[in-house]
Amino acid sequence: MSNRPGYDHQPYEEWVDPTPPPAKVADVPNVGATSAILASTAFALGAHCKEYNEDFMLCKAEDENPAHCLKEGARVTRCSIDLLTKLRERCHKQLTAHWNCLELNNHELYSCRPEEQPLNECIFKNFGYKKQVPGAPKTGTPVHEQTKRYFGNSRNTF
Amino acid sequence: MPGPTQDVGVAGKYPSFRYQRYITSRGPSGTALFLGLFGIMGFGMYHHMKSRKEWREIQRERIWTRLHLIPMLQAEQDRDTYRREEALRAREAEIMKDVPDWEVGRTAYHTKRYVRPTVPLYLPEEHKK
Repeated sequence: MSNRPGYDHQPYEEWVDPTPPPAKVADVPNVGATSAILASTAFALGAHCKEYNEDFMLCKAEDENPAHCLKEGARVTRCSIDLLTKLRERCHKQLTAHWNCLELNNHELYSCRPEEQPLNECIFKNFGYKKQVPGAPKTGTPVHEQTKRYFGNSRNTF
Repeated sequence: MPGPTQDVGVAGKYPSFRYQRYITSRGPSGTALFLGLFGIMGFGMYHHMKSRKEWREIQRERIWTRLHLIPMLQAEQDRDTYRREEALRAREAEIMKDVPDWEVGRTAYHTKRYVRPTVPLYLPEEHKK
């Protein structure tokens, strides 16, 4: 990615600012998980870090300045890392199976239901978080628990 | 030689004869066609609408997957933006230290609201280690 379209006059290397982070944020680690893992754990993350996330988003609504919400942001990051570490300890096999499936299926959750269900069970058993999509209809089976489905791999499709 | 005889029917009546109409089948009746049409269309529409409902829920799930991640991603991005802005401010202070009454990091906009930088910063060669 040395040259992005439209930025040929400015190579990627010149975008990098090598300045080390200021003392205020120096000791805050980044999550460093790939997108498939994040997609796989998103609902657990939303449940695990609900308070920190809401706090951070309220702070952002108050003031958009990046310097305004550094403390809240650090809490959000630490909470996310905490959950991912615990998931790696307790649900490593299921998580690996699911995110590898997501990698092969364009990150579409509906293509990976057989892998998702053991992961959801493991998360519920270990953490007590039940996957719930806000705004979904109250009646009927949730889309991630359906056994007969129209979308997804052909062996599970209607 | 007898005279001419009139050609008349047989005495009594003609004998009955067996006959059959050979007409090809005209297919199912109009009612059957009508009902069949609506039956097939109903079947298709039932599954179509059901799959649409499922697709809607899949999209809802996909959106919420992203929404749950937003605070985490935004926090990381904010820390990097903060680091870059601090570096920019330090660089500006270093360059402009000889100019009296120079306000470092003063915004070009007449507002107290934070304005996200729209122009990416080009880092001059001498500031790269």
